[in-house]
Amino acid sequence: MSSQTARVMDQEINKKAEIDLSKNFWYADWSFPILVALLSSGIFAGTHMYYVYKIGAFNDVAIVAMLEAGIQGAGYGAAAAFGASFLFARILEGSLVGILDIGGSLQTGIGIGVPALLLASGITAPLENFVLSLITGALLGVIVGYVIIGIRKFTVNQSNSTFGADIMMGAGNTSGRFLGPLIVISAASASIPIGIGSIIGAAIFYVWKKPVAGGAILGAMIFGAIFPISLE
Amino acid sequence: MEVLEIAIKSIIIGALVGVGVGAGAARMFHAPKVQGMGAFRTLGELNACAGDAASHFSFGLGFFFNAWASSVGAGAFTQDVDHRIIPNWAASVLMRKGKRPEDTLHNPKKMAIAGGIMGVIVVAFLNLTASAIPESLQAIAIKVLVPAANLLINPVMPVIFWLAALDAGKRSGFWGTIFGGAAHLIMGNAVPGVVLGILIGKGVDDSGWNRVTKTLITSVILLFVLSAFFRGFDVRLLESMYLNTPEWLKDLHKLIGLEVK
Repeated sequence: MSSQTARVMDQEINKKAEIDLSKNFWYADWSFPILVALLSSGIFAGTHMYYVYKIGAFNDVAIVAMLEAGIQGAGYGAAAAFGASFLFARILEGSLVGILDIGGSLQTGIGIGVPALLLASGITAPLENFVLSLITGALLGVIVGYVIIGIRKFTVNQSNSTFGADIMMGAGNTSGRFLGPLIVISAASASIPIGIGSIIGAAIFYVWKKPVAGGAILGAMIFGAIFPISLE
Repeated sequence: MEVLEIAIKSIIIGALVGVGVGAGAARMFHAPKVQGMGAFRTLGELNACAGDAASHFSFGLGFFFNAWASSVGAGAFTQDVDHRIIPNWAASVLMRKGKRPEDTLHNPKKMAIAGGIMGVIVVAFLNLTASAIPESLQAIAIKVLVPAANLLINPVMPVIFWLAALDAGKRSGFWGTIFGGAAHLIMGNAVPGVVLGILIGKGVDDSGWNRVTKTLITSVILLFVLSAFFRGFDVRLLESMYLNTPEWLKDLHKLIGLEVK
C-alpha cells in the first residue's frame, strides 16, 4: 500500500471516528490521564526494580547511568536536571501536537528525573517499596495527563486550527519510509555477508509487496548467524 | 524466593506498561483530534511496516536482542521496550491473519489488550533471563539496527520535518528554521524545534496572532530558555565565545543542582 493511499484512508477513518471520539473511553480526552497513569506507574515501578534488584529500568544505559552515579554517591543533580527539563519540554510539545513523547516525558522525566529528585531529598520509600512505587508513578502520571489535557483545552480546542498536525503526520510517515534503505546501508557497512543478506531480504520483501525494512532485518540476522561479526 | 518476587512484580509492571503503550500508540493514529502517546518515530516506524505482521515482528525482534543484551549487561531495558518492541509486537499479533491496520493497529482497545499481554511477556522475560543472549544476534542489533535508527533520528527526521516546514508556507518555514536550528544547538536534535515552528506558523496562518498563538510562542520561547539553562547551554555559549562565566551564573546553576565546570 502506498503512503498516499494510506494517508487518505487515515483521513477517512479520522472523519468516521470523529463523531463518537469524545464519548468513547478509548478515544476521549478524559481517559488520557488514566492511560498515562498506567504507563507511568509501570515505568516508576521499573525504576524501583532497578533500585532494589539492579534490573528492569525502562531507559537507555547512558541515562540509567546518571541515576546510578547518584546512587553511588556522586550527586543526583545531573539526572534530576536532565529528567526535569525533558519532562517539561515534552509536556508542552505533546499537548500541542497530540502525541506525547513517552521517551522524554515518562521514561526519562518520571522514571529517572523524579526518582533522582526524591533520592536527592532523602526520600527513599517510593523507590524501596513496590506498592508505593506503583502509587507514586500513577499519581505523577495523572498529573502529567491532566496538565496535557488542560493545555489542549486552552490551545488546540479553542481555535479551529489543527496547528499543522497534518504536516507533521505526513513528515512522520515519510521518515518511516527511510528506515528500509537505511537498514540495508548500515548492514552493508557492518560486514559483507550481512550486507548481502539484507539486500536479498529487502529485494524479496519488495517483490512480495512487503515492507523493505522487515526483509532487510531478517536477511541481516540470518546471514549474521551464519557469518558472525564481533562487537569490536 | 527472590525470583518469584521478581516474576510477580514483572508481570504487574509489564501489564501496566503494555496497556498504556498499546492504547497510546493506537491513539497516535488519530492525533491531533485525540491525544496519543508514543513518539513521532514510533508512528513512522509502525507505518513503515505497513500493516504486515512479519515486518512488525522482525522489527521488534531486532531491537529485542539489543534490549536483552542491555538488560543482561546493565539492568537497563533501553527505551525501545516501550517505543518499539511492545507496539510492534502487539501490532504483529493483532494482524496475524492479514487483518487491516485500520481495524487493529489503529484501535486503542485492541492494542491495549495485545500490548498488555506483550508487556507481561517481554518484561518478565527480560527480568528473569540472566543468561547471555547469542552474541552474533546481539552484534547485529548493535551494528545494523542501532546505526540505522540513529541515522533516522539524526539527520533524516530533522531534514524531512524541516523540508515539510519549508513547504508548508512562509511562516512555518521561518519559525521552523529558527526553532529547528536552536533546538539542534540546545537539545541536540532539531525535530522538536521544527515541530514547534510548524505549530506556531500554521497556528498563525489559520487564526492569526490571537491569545492562543501568543501564549504558544511565549511558552515555546520560555521552554527554550529553560532547557538551555538546565542543560548548561548558557555557560557553553559563553565559553565558546571565549568569555568568562560570571560567578553568579555558576552559583545559580549550582543552586538548581546542576554543576557546571
